[in-house]
Amino acid sequence: MLTIDSVSKSLGEFSLTDVSLSVGDGEYFIILGPTGAGKTILLETIAGIYSPDAGRILLNGRDITDVPARERNVGMVYQDYMLFPHLTVEANIGFGLKSRRVDPAFIRGKVQEGADLLNISHLLHRYPGTLSGGEQQRAAIARALVMEPEALLLDEPLSALDVKTRETLRAELARIHEATGTTIIHITHNFEEVFDLADRVAIMHGGDVVQVGTPEEIFQRPNSDFVAGFVGVENLFCGEGSPDGTVTVGDLRIRVENGMPGPVSLAIRPEDILLSKKILPENGKNVFSGRVGTVRQNGGLVRVCIDAGIPFRVTLTRQGFEEAGFTPGDAVYLAFRPSAAHVYPSGVQEGA
Amino acid sequence: MSKGNVSRFQMVTIAVALLIAAFIVLVLLGVVTHSPLGVLIECLLSEEIQFAVRLSIITSVVSTLLCILVAVPVAYALARYTFPGKSLMNMVMDIPMALPPLVAGVGLLLFFGVSPIGKALDAVGLTFVFTPLGIIVAQFFVNLPYMLRVTRSTFQGVNPRYEYVAKTLGCTDAQAFWRVTLPMSWNGLLAGSVITWSKGIGEFGAALMLAGATRMKTETLPLSLFLNMSTGKLEFAISAATILIMISIVSLYVFERYGGATHVY
Repeated sequence: MLTIDSVSKSLGEFSLTDVSLSVGDGEYFIILGPTGAGKTILLETIAGIYSPDAGRILLNGRDITDVPARERNVGMVYQDYMLFPHLTVEANIGFGLKSRRVDPAFIRGKVQEGADLLNISHLLHRYPGTLSGGEQQRAAIARALVMEPEALLLDEPLSALDVKTRETLRAELARIHEATGTTIIHITHNFEEVFDLADRVAIMHGGDVVQVGTPEEIFQRPNSDFVAGFVGVENLFCGEGSPDGTVTVGDLRIRVENGMPGPVSLAIRPEDILLSKKILPENGKNVFSGRVGTVRQNGGLVRVCIDAGIPFRVTLTRQGFEEAGFTPGDAVYLAFRPSAAHVYPSGVQEGA
Repeated sequence: MSKGNVSRFQMVTIAVALLIAAFIVLVLLGVVTHSPLGVLIECLLSEEIQFAVRLSIITSVVSTLLCILVAVPVAYALARYTFPGKSLMNMVMDIPMALPPLVAGVGLLLFFGVSPIGKALDAVGLTFVFTPLGIIVAQFFVNLPYMLRVTRSTFQGVNPRYEYVAKTLGCTDAQAFWRVTLPMSWNGLLAGSVITWSKGIGEFGAALMLAGATRMKTETLPLSLFLNMSTGKLEFAISAATILIMISIVSLYVFERYGGATHVY
C-alpha cells in the first residue's frame, strides 16, 4: 500500500500542490494527464529523487518521506530507458544487486531470472546501444524488477516505442504484473494502456490529482469539465438540474441517472448516442429530433454534428454511417440512455 | 558566371580557406625543415634539450593531474547543483583563461613571493619562486579553466536521470557518480586532459614570471626555445619548436577524436 498524503513540491515551472493518493497492494495504477501536469515529479518524489516541501509518503506502513532513494526499494523506469551505456545488459540488470554487495553467483541467478521473465536472455552480453527500443525497455524493466521493489514506477514506458512494439510490450506488462504481483504506478497519455492495464486511474492536471477511479468511471462519469474534455467527452452542456432527475439544457429536458438540483454540467460521450432516420421508441431513453450538420471522416469512424436545438456530436462506424445513408440536412432522431448522461455540479474545473 | 552548382561565392570562400590552410602548413614546415635532419637529431639528443623535454613532461603531467583532481569535483558541482553565487563563481573560474599569462604570472609571483601565505609555504619548504614547482603552479593556474569547461560540459551532457535510476538501485550520490556519471564521461575527460596537458607543455608567460628562465633548471621546451633564440643558438631553438609542433598536432587529433563524442549520451 502506497499512500501519498497532501504532498506539495515546487520545482520552478513544474509543481505538485497538495496531492493525495492511495495505491493498493499489487494494484496496477495509471496516472493520466497532459504534459506539465506534474506526473513525472510525482513519480520522482515517490522514488525519493526529490523530497516534498510538505506532506508525507507512506509505503507499506513505513513513512519514507525522508528516506533516501537508495533505501526506499522503489523501482524506476523511464521513457528513454536510461540503461547505463558503458555496461552490458547483464551488468545493467545486476547493477542494483551489486550495490547490495550480495554473492556474485546469487546476482547471476537473479539476473538470469529477470532476463527470462522479460525474454531477453539472449541479449545479456550486448551493450544497450546495440539494442532496439523495445529490447532496451525490457532490459530497463528487468533491471528494476530484480530488486523486487515494493513499488515499480513507470514513466511513460511505452511512449518512445513504435506502434507494434508498444502493443507487444503492453501485453508483456500485463503478464509481468500478473506474474510478480508488484504494485505498479504507470504514467501515460495513451488511453489504450489505461483500458488494457489499469485497475484504477488518476487524472492529473496543474500539479493536482483531479479524479481517481476505475477506467470506466473516469471515462463514463468525469467529475469536471477538464476530465470530461481530457477523456474525450465531446458533448458537454451547461444546464439546470431539477429534483425529478432531469436537466434542462436550452429547450431540451434530458433525463439523467444521477440528477441534482441547481446549475450542473452534463457530459455525454459521442459513441453513446444512437442515430436513426426513423423515430426511435423511448423505452425510458432520451429521444430528440434534429438535423444532420457537418460530417467528418476520421479513419474508420465518422463524426456527425446534429442540431437538435443544442448541438450534439455523434460518433458512428463508417459502415453504420454508410448503411443509414445520412447526408447533411436530413431529419434524424437521436437517442441515449439516462445512464449515458453524466451530471456533475457546474463550475467544477479541477475536481475541487 | 556560375558553372553547374558551384557559385562564384562558393569558389571564393573555399579558395580563402585553402590559402589559409596552405599558409599554416608552410609556416610549420618552415620550422620543421629548417635544420638538416642530422643537426636536428643531434640537437634533440643534446643534454639541454633532453633536460627540457624531461622537465616539460614532468611538470605538464603533474599540473594536468592537479587540474583533473580539482576540475572534476568543481565541474560536477557547477553542472549539477544550484547554490548561491554559482554564476559569479563560474565567471571567476574562467578569468585566468582570459588573462594574459604574463599578468597571471605577476600575480602568482607576488602571491608566492611576498604574501604571508607564500612566505609560510616557503618556510615549510614549498618554494615556488624560480623553481620547477613554480612551473607546475603556473601551468595549473592558467590551464585549469580549460579542463573545467570541458569537464563541466561533459557532466552537463550526462542526463541526471541516469543518476536517479542508480540511486533507486541502491547507490549513494557518490556511488552514482563513480559507477555511472564518471564512466559515461570518460571521453570528455580524456579530451579535456589532453588539451590541458598540451597547453601545459606549451605554457610560457606565467611560468617565465614565476619560475624564471634559468638554463638547465627551469628550462622547459618553450623556455628553451626562448633562451636559445635569444642567445643565437638557432638549431636548439628549432629542435624545441619541432617537438612542440608534433605534440600539438597529436593532442589536437586526440581531442577531436574523443572530444567530439562528449555529448553522445
